[in-house]
Amino acid sequence: MLSVIARRLSLSLATLLALAVFIFAATEIMPGDALDVILSSDEIASIPPERLAQMKRDLGLDRPALERLGSFLLNAVQGDFGRTLISKTPVADIIAYPMRNSLALALLVIAIAFPLAILVGIIGACWHRTPTDHVLATATIVGYSIPEFVIGTLLVLGFAVALPWFSATITVDTRAPVLELLKVSALPVATIVIGSVAYLSRILRVGMIEALSADNIERLRMTGVPPWRVVFRHALPSAVIPCLTAMALYAAALVSGLVVVELVFSIPGLGQELVRGVVRREVHVVQAIALACAVIVVTLNLAADLAVLALDPRARSQ
Amino acid sequence: MNSHPRLLLRKPLALIGIGLVLAHLIAALTAPLWIPYDPTALVGAALEPPNEEFLFGTDELGRDFLSRVFMGGRVAILVAFSAGVIAAVGGALIGLSAAYHGGAIDDLVCRLVELKLAIPSILFVSLFVTGFGQSLGVLIAVIAIIKMMGAIRTVRAAGLQLMNLGYVRAAQLRGESASSVIVRELLPNVIDLLLVEFALRSSSALLLVSALSFLGLGLSPPTPDWGLMIHAGLAAIHSEPWLILIPAVCISTLVIGVNFATEGIADAWGLDAARGGAHG
Repeated sequence: MLSVIARRLSLSLATLLALAVFIFAATEIMPGDALDVILSSDEIASIPPERLAQMKRDLGLDRPALERLGSFLLNAVQGDFGRTLISKTPVADIIAYPMRNSLALALLVIAIAFPLAILVGIIGACWHRTPTDHVLATATIVGYSIPEFVIGTLLVLGFAVALPWFSATITVDTRAPVLELLKVSALPVATIVIGSVAYLSRILRVGMIEALSADNIERLRMTGVPPWRVVFRHALPSAVIPCLTAMALYAAALVSGLVVVELVFSIPGLGQELVRGVVRREVHVVQAIALACAVIVVTLNLAADLAVLALDPRARSQ
Repeated sequence: MNSHPRLLLRKPLALIGIGLVLAHLIAALTAPLWIPYDPTALVGAALEPPNEEFLFGTDELGRDFLSRVFMGGRVAILVAFSAGVIAAVGGALIGLSAAYHGGAIDDLVCRLVELKLAIPSILFVSLFVTGFGQSLGVLIAVIAIIKMMGAIRTVRAAGLQLMNLGYVRAAQLRGESASSVIVRELLPNVIDLLLVEFALRSSSALLLVSALSFLGLGLSPPTPDWGLMIHAGLAAIHSEPWLILIPAVCISTLVIGVNFATEGIADAWGLDAARGGAHG
């Protein structure tokens, strides 16, 4: 058991290291460097070469790539992601509050989407091959076929413009208390929940159908255990456990969804910072956000696998 | 394979899907022949409501919105379908090679796929756009790589099951080379799967490229594009909602159409489309 956990932990660490190297490589070894961001091509041509070399030294661009990779990793472990190229603000300061806001939103979405998805999955499985199941299955396809930014804008049109119940944009300050943000985030949360439920309930429905057709469930039914108890107490756990790993992959989809929704509703979160960073080619901001998301996704995957180990005796014996 | 077309006819969902996709493809292909105005030309006053001269009104710059809407799917469809083809073909070759060789190669491929699945798609694109800049080629390549990972996974799993078949062993014992076994014995067995993979990956590529355009990281103005139009329309959401509604209906019906059709085809062929998932 311990060796299984140790192996799983080291795999996560290796994944994280590989992701960090990849993030560095994708942004730093590409054509063009930080100087191209700060200066236009005319400026580069007009500045004397000695001055240009000096600027390169200041940015650390004269060192070999491997050496820069090493210091990138060392600094990142200590929470230092460098400074922005233009304003020279520490990147860690820029992303701290937006990250908190995005995390709070993500947790709220998960807290709502998971129970809902389980419910929809169960209904689909219990009424398998009936009109109810077909309608739900069709609705889930529609649900994940509509882009999140379209769902978001349509919700704004419906519930902020046509029926003025909510505000179309979120005007909360970046550093405002989390609760204040969550209070006005009904529409953005609903946007991601719709897509998430469509995505997760599909996986759960398949797992539930398999679980319900197992022999032990049939036996429980025949011995007169109440149907709701069979479903929730016996079939659900064995359906959810194999789905946990697939559901952890949903974390990656959730991050993408958050980025889009933050832009639709102008939520002061990581997504806004990311897009701003890419447009301004602020390499260090993009690296830091990518690394933060990688940590979150890898941790969630690890948590899912450990949960499977804890809950499923079959996984432990392997 | 003979029963497939008839099976499909009994699936109303699949028929609706195929109808939607065909309508979109025909509109996208023929649009340049009959749209009334140049989609990038300023031809009227800004933000005119729909009228006889401009059936869908004009946008914030005074361009004919009808012409822009009908031209608005072309580039996104081109990007998504090219990425889908590359993803399916590349996924097949890499997935089957991994299944065939097994061992270290298989491990390496699996680790790489898992690594990619841990990075959210929008972040993955962001990293490359930050490095390489924004261009159509970069966009197609990056989206193809992203979508290829899921395809590799599915095809590899199918390939592993084929490895035990008699004629595959026979080909190996005949001394045929790895590439010849993969292309002549394994590949023909996964053609059905590849078609479904292509459709699945194209539809999720379509979602990704339109989201990227909406964010300002995908296609760039003045290209007529539904994602860009919806982004621009947000500014006028209170007064000119049709600037959002029309492109929203277009992108949604296209993706719904592809997914309905895929679901129906996969179902008729006894494949499990749910496993791939739209976000894969």
